[in-house]
Amino acid sequence: MTSAELIRRRRQDVGPAIESVSEPVPGKVRMAVAPGAVVSVAKALYRDHGARFLVTAGIDSREGGNGFEVDHIFSLDKDKIFFILRTSAAAEEPEVPAITPEVPAAAWAERELQDLLGVRVEGLPDGRRLILPDDWPEGVHPLRKDMKYGDWPPLGDENAEESYPWKQAPEGTSTVVIGPYFPVLEEPTQLRLFVDGERVIDCDYRGFYNHRAIEKMGDSELTYNEIPFVSERICGICGFIHSSCYCETAEEAMGIRAPRRARYIRSLMLEIERIHSHLLWTGIAGHILGFDTVLMQTWRMREPLMWLCEKITGNRQTYGMHIIGGVRRDISEECYPEILAVVGKIEQEWIQFYDAVQGDTTLKARLVGVGMLPEETAKEIAVLGPTARGSNWDIDARADHPYAAYDEVPIRVITHPDCDNWARVVVRLEEVLESVRWVREGLKQMPDGPIMASDIPEEVPAGQWGVCTVEAPRGEAIHYVLTGGDNRPDRWRVRAPTYNNLQALPSMIKGETIADVPIILGSMDPCFSCTERVEVVNVRSGEAERLDYQELLARSRAATERLRGRRGGRPWQ
Amino acid sequence: MAITVLEIVLSLVILIGLAPLAEGLLRKFKAIIHSRQGPPIIQPYLDIAKLLVKEDLAPTDNWVWRMAPALCLGATVVVALLTPIGGAPAFGFGGDIIVFVYFATLSVVAIILAAFASGNPYAYVGGSREMMMALSVEPVMAIALFVAAIKAHTLTFGGILSHSATSEPSISMAVAGIAFLLALQALVGKLPFDIAEADQEIMGGPFIERSGPGLALFRWAMHARLLIFSAVLVSVFVPWPHVGIRGLSILLTLAKMGVFLTLVGLVDVVNPRLRIDQSMGYYARIVVFVSIGALALAIVGH
Amino acid sequence: MIISKLKEALICLKAGRVTLPYPFAPHDPEDGFHGRVVVDAEKCVGCGGCAEVCPPRCIEVTDPSPEKRVLEFFLERCTYCARCAEVCPEDAVIVTKEFETATNDLEDMHMRVEVFMSTCRRCGRCYEPPTPLDRMMVTGFRPPTGESEGA
Repeated sequence: MTSAELIRRRRQDVGPAIESVSEPVPGKVRMAVAPGAVVSVAKALYRDHGARFLVTAGIDSREGGNGFEVDHIFSLDKDKIFFILRTSAAAEEPEVPAITPEVPAAAWAERELQDLLGVRVEGLPDGRRLILPDDWPEGVHPLRKDMKYGDWPPLGDENAEESYPWKQAPEGTSTVVIGPYFPVLEEPTQLRLFVDGERVIDCDYRGFYNHRAIEKMGDSELTYNEIPFVSERICGICGFIHSSCYCETAEEAMGIRAPRRARYIRSLMLEIERIHSHLLWTGIAGHILGFDTVLMQTWRMREPLMWLCEKITGNRQTYGMHIIGGVRRDISEECYPEILAVVGKIEQEWIQFYDAVQGDTTLKARLVGVGMLPEETAKEIAVLGPTARGSNWDIDARADHPYAAYDEVPIRVITHPDCDNWARVVVRLEEVLESVRWVREGLKQMPDGPIMASDIPEEVPAGQWGVCTVEAPRGEAIHYVLTGGDNRPDRWRVRAPTYNNLQALPSMIKGETIADVPIILGSMDPCFSCTERVEVVNVRSGEAERLDYQELLARSRAATERLRGRRGGRPWQ
Repeated sequence: MAITVLEIVLSLVILIGLAPLAEGLLRKFKAIIHSRQGPPIIQPYLDIAKLLVKEDLAPTDNWVWRMAPALCLGATVVVALLTPIGGAPAFGFGGDIIVFVYFATLSVVAIILAAFASGNPYAYVGGSREMMMALSVEPVMAIALFVAAIKAHTLTFGGILSHSATSEPSISMAVAGIAFLLALQALVGKLPFDIAEADQEIMGGPFIERSGPGLALFRWAMHARLLIFSAVLVSVFVPWPHVGIRGLSILLTLAKMGVFLTLVGLVDVVNPRLRIDQSMGYYARIVVFVSIGALALAIVGH
Repeated sequence: MIISKLKEALICLKAGRVTLPYPFAPHDPEDGFHGRVVVDAEKCVGCGGCAEVCPPRCIEVTDPSPEKRVLEFFLERCTYCARCAEVCPEDAVIVTKEFETATNDLEDMHMRVEVFMSTCRRCGRCYEPPTPLDRMMVTGFRPPTGESEGA
């Protein structure tokens, strides 16, 4: 189906409710509808057209007199269309209808909208806080423009009991708390498992303990060309993905495109990053199972690749290669043989490794049939990346919405029908080999030419927009940029893959044992950098420790105060 | 009398004193497989020394909690005195096999009791896993030793050893030896059966609340189990070749123990951790039947 | 199963020991590595372009007197992106290969460059040399507004 056809069908359905339609780039449609029609359009997209919900972006447009704008972003993968469903809410007491009852994948995105922008989402099944801390005052919403970056709200009542409304433990179960700090969760998040013996009956999640307010920084502090460097720091492993995605999006919004060679270099580095990320993940998965030999050996194989990255970009990680309009460093011809040698060695060792683990019955005993995520559930929650492909769902941004050089050198999408941990392992193991193939092919076809676009505009007009997805090792990352005045975006929305994948965790661990929880969580390659929060509040578990909570809270607040004092109120320093 | 004292000192030095060294060698072996340098082989001694001078933080005043480390290491010392190293054990007496099995179990019971006393949910899970492991593994060890006792018509290690010196190898002893070897991996708490501790799942399980000297004593006891059970395996089931000289037979036993511990280390590095239900299934359905088969064979006289 | 275990063990043993004896033996990074930056005070013309593009904003430019411009580098916040070296019109910012920057004293990570500026005889203020800025060709150049200071 073409985008024109899609727009026509929607006009038939809700004709008068459509306020405006724009399609600045073919295949990227933004349709503004009246709030009353939003649910029916969302439902039609999801149910009739098989559209995948990506994310919701809320925009504070009160300065321009438009109240709040809410953009639900959908993707029609097979038709290569992004469809942005826009609705608006009044400036005073804003409210929009919830699409979550019809599109379950929107659950977190709408909770986030409610938290950060203060747009009440009417009819949300679970309206608890998602991102804001427990003691954050009511009515203060960080992404509103009247709150400046670096403003701190008055802190809540220090003597208040822990106030987060956790789910009640079901009858006859005891609660095992995992996190916020737990050996195999490298980053803070909290899971409460309601268990009967070793079996998990239900669970509840609370994350965003380390929110860094990057989106806020992007639309109030940084300039267009500073964001690539900050976006790269969204994730320590797949940073290049975020800077690529931002640059592609911003370039689209500005109406420019990076030269071919720059796009090839982007793709090449993205595939190298995917290889080292998958190697890293395989090691961590082994470590979670206590199989440290896998950890040591995969990381050994990975190390030459990291040195190669250092050689190509100057940095081992967070390469700082991107800038709007291209890349900053060229890859010299002398480097090609070395790249080929390093990935060739990895391929050779990886095939041996793959061959060895395929016959490993003890490893399979822990992975096969564990952490089931049926295809229908995967689609309902809209999981991404290897988690989706391990559930036999062939989505891959590289194939569905080609960016960088993937339109010229396509990638093979790898799926597995088994829907369990083992399927997700196999998908990743094979993706390494596919990435190696791409690196070879990409180097062979690498064109000559400039690495920076020459038509970068001096001034970027406000009100343009772009949306792009980039396939990270964990799944697809999406960036949405609305240009604004003052040389920075009016709104820069980022969604990293773990945001979606983590929502599938409850259905994956229900009925499994405590011993399987870490590896099930690990099998989706969680990256909690994607989920963030503002200040550290340490909640310890159990009755005996409940007393410590107040003291920890007081201490962390004192530390926050100290930091604020020292930094003279400039929190980015 | 002087010889007995010497034997006691020797048993303690080898089985308790050298235990951290054995662990250190295992770690080094693991490091070689991992392609890395590894810690110095005396690292376990340094760890224990450090822990001994550190503060002991207790989550509870429960006396079980306070007593448990001493109980665990104490029981292990008693077990060490009852362990044959290529000859009759230092403290051998009539029925010492039964006392050996009891005290070996007691050291595990001390861990479980302390885990339940700590009140930590992870320790609870770890304690119950430890209990399930003990229930499925200790019977295998007991039955295998009982097979040896039936063959030798005696309940003393000394008797078994002198019997094996004069008799031919038998099928039942070989099968019992295999059962004991399969149990060894779990008895010494190595992968894939370090389920009770499972750092990545339940953060050390029974030991999560432990610190300082208490943890040091538990660690030491766990290291000693490495040597004790491999010494029993070697002395009872692989006694050949027989050498008359006591000193030489001890050295020979230590060498054979080294071989088996290397095997334990090798299994440890090429396996992921199993789930408790999987390892229970393995022991309760397979290994126990191997040992019962050995028992049946011994009863019918093979 | 045994065969796959043996294959695994073989992969491990074939590699041999790979960890390096660092820090006891030096391990030099490749050419082009982004290490600590140093500034050649002789070459610096004080245009402040580096401060404008620095993503973590760790370069501060102040003019204590009309003839003097001070560039302070707070390298503890440096992200080693080398943007400063890239835009420097006089190649005064040099990216070294030094990566062992751990220190107990934050002062080790501070760098101060004083540039003497020629001043206009009539108004007594620094010339803002136009040529280097023109040569930078940097999009995203934005003069500091100072509005967020102390916010």
